[in-house]
Amino acid sequence: MSSSSVYPTPINAFKQSKRSVLSVIVDNEPGILARIVGLFSGRGYNIEALNVTVVDIKNNLSRITIETLGEEKVISQIIAQLEKLVPVHSATNLANLSESYEAEICLVKIEFKNEEQDQKILNFSDIYRSRTVQKRQNIVVYEISGTSERINKFLDDLNTIGGIKVELVRSGPIGLGI
Amino acid sequence: MDNENEFTGADILLKALKEQEVDTIFGYPGGAVLPIYDAIFGQNFLKHVLVRQEAGAVHAAEGYARSSGKVGVLLVTSGPGVTNVVTGLTDALMDSIPIVCISGQVPSHLIGTDAFQECDTTGITRPCTKHNYLVKDVSKLSETIHEAFKIASSGRPGPVLIDIPKDVQFAKSKYIPKKEINFREHRIKAGSKNVDKNFVQELVNHIKNSERPIFYVGGGCLNSGPQASQELIKLVNKTNIPITTTLHGLGCFPGEDKSSLGMLGMHGNYEANLAMNKCDLMINVGARFDDRVTGRLDAFSPDSIKFHIDIDQSSINKNVKVDFHTNTDITQTLKEINTFIESNKIELEKKDYSNWWGQINDWRKKECLHYEQGDEVIKPQHAISRLYELTNKIDTFITTEVGQHQMWAAQYYKFSKPNRWITSGGLGTMGFGMPAAVGAQMANPDSLVIDVAGEASFLMNIQEIATAVQYKLPIKIFILNNEYMGMVRQWQELLHGSRYSESYVDALPDFKKLAESFNAIGVRAKNVSELDDVINEMVSIDRPVIADIWVDKKENCFPMIPSGAAHHEMLLSKYDKENPENQEKGKVLV
Ligand SMILES: Cc1ncc(C[n+]2csc(CCOP(=O)(O)OP(=O)(O)O)c2C)c(N)n1
Ligand SMILES: [Mg+2]
Repeated sequence: MSSSSVYPTPINAFKQSKRSVLSVIVDNEPGILARIVGLFSGRGYNIEALNVTVVDIKNNLSRITIETLGEEKVISQIIAQLEKLVPVHSATNLANLSESYEAEICLVKIEFKNEEQDQKILNFSDIYRSRTVQKRQNIVVYEISGTSERINKFLDDLNTIGGIKVELVRSGPIGLGI
Repeated sequence: MDNENEFTGADILLKALKEQEVDTIFGYPGGAVLPIYDAIFGQNFLKHVLVRQEAGAVHAAEGYARSSGKVGVLLVTSGPGVTNVVTGLTDALMDSIPIVCISGQVPSHLIGTDAFQECDTTGITRPCTKHNYLVKDVSKLSETIHEAFKIASSGRPGPVLIDIPKDVQFAKSKYIPKKEINFREHRIKAGSKNVDKNFVQELVNHIKNSERPIFYVGGGCLNSGPQASQELIKLVNKTNIPITTTLHGLGCFPGEDKSSLGMLGMHGNYEANLAMNKCDLMINVGARFDDRVTGRLDAFSPDSIKFHIDIDQSSINKNVKVDFHTNTDITQTLKEINTFIESNKIELEKKDYSNWWGQINDWRKKECLHYEQGDEVIKPQHAISRLYELTNKIDTFITTEVGQHQMWAAQYYKFSKPNRWITSGGLGTMGFGMPAAVGAQMANPDSLVIDVAGEASFLMNIQEIATAVQYKLPIKIFILNNEYMGMVRQWQELLHGSRYSESYVDALPDFKKLAESFNAIGVRAKNVSELDDVINEMVSIDRPVIADIWVDKKENCFPMIPSGAAHHEMLLSKYDKENPENQEKGKVLV
């Protein structure tokens, strides 16, 4: 894996996975997202996560980051198909760059019932250095960022605590070649 | 305030079409395009051909484009007008045909309200166009139209749609001529500019060292322009390498030349498929390793080094992994290869590949296209052979429908020039050939245009006979009438125990009377003794003709690589038995 986290990860438990993160620069015009999503659904490719935002107002460009699954041959075909779309400037598999960084942001709302749960939550929050957005009597909201794997790990750890209620939202990974 | 430098959207469209040198447009009017029809009225550079159903317009535009090398243009109204062209747009996308479709849309302020004849045109056509636009601002119209033509015709060509709301057709703006438009390179996708020198060198080295080379040429060669075909002929002559073409490659290399092995693939020639299977060097020129061509992938040409020239990056390494590839225009690449050979005095002529040719000639002895013509019933293969013999002195364009007749036309009609063969390959659209012939005849008024048809396919767009009659287009519909959806019947015979479920074409019209009712001419051949006369009569009549040729109803199209089988597992006739294991696997394929 050539991409590494912008945050240090407490447990180096990254599994070797066939996921790829593609970074696509496009003209920001009506229908562009539909073109890309349609390409994936029409050709039977997976979208695990997707993120779109304007990144260059002057030149009217957006960057779309897509997390997908597939073997290398399929990923190359996806890139070639993306680059055929008229508004697409470039499509890059971050894994093919010599250096790239990846990050994702996640907001987690946790409802707990007792002290013991609260302690465990606090403990994980410490290990993962999540930021407290809001804390009430029996609700805490954290913001955690880092690689998707790191967030997965945090959520897995939270799930080992019995009896709490977790609600969350994730941005999907974003990434940049350096 | 009216400004004399400002024009309505409809006028801007016409100005842009004029600048793009469009002289013919196929269309059908309706509420959402009336301002454009008003602009067409009272001008004389643009000939509007009124089709009878929008499907006719899109296939006619395809026929026009394929036979002329120019962009085909059509104009349809919103809602049902545009949904009627979805099949044709998909067809053009699959077969890389440059067309521009102008569609009307309900006025901007009604978009999204389920207005009368509103549909989400850009949404529906997004997956079946190379690109599409909804023009919301008349000031963007000139640029959009010019970019649309550029995109349709650049790189791997394809269909582009421009949806124009009715209010935008009325609104006014300046016209921006083509030369003032800054085309953005990333949007045009024209392939790599410079030929990869390394590719050329590697290719020539491999040609020098190979024992069993073959050229495998596809429709990309056609799309690169007639010069590509000239360069290809030069290269083949210089190297003495056998050449096979795909369905769409027919005509890029003269079919009667000694180096030609004819078409390959599912109904291709035995020698072509065997040569592909046994070659040690495969040079793919603008073909896409389609499943009709490769047969079972794991047994496809196992021992060859593969070179691939294709302007479309996504066609490279998609189905078959190749060893060398270049993403450049074919004309340019072939020219560079020829120049390299000449300037380096590489004498490939000395390499005559005599063992290879010996082997190929043995395969040729199988005479895979042999058939027995008796005294009575016309064999469909014979009908095409005679059609070829009786028309090959004339500049003839052949369009087809889809089915057995299409394959027989590909097998028995020999093409010597590109752009003379117009067929629906990728999508296999029944009903394509009749309107495509209308388009081809519009582009080539002095040539002979024949739609080789099946009776079932012809019924799908039969209404376009009226178009041919109205515009005095002397097209010929040459129906191989077997009263069956022959290709369906054949698969049912081979794969479904001869259970001919719904493949008999019952209640057929009398095609002769039908022709007459349209004010066209009808002729008929019922047995082999009448065939030549009927063909000659058909060709001599300067009006649209429907020729109803009664052929053997049970004839099958051979040779055949059944779905799921490999090149060397070809069936030569119905007496060849298929490997039952393949048959079970093949049944689930198409
Ligand atoms: C629009 C469409 N519908 C269905 C098919 C499937 N199909 C392929 S060939 C064929 C039969 C064509 O019959 P006919 O035109 O009589 O030609 P023949 O095979 O008899 O020569 C059919 C139904 C198709 N290709 N296109
Ligand atoms: Mg038939």
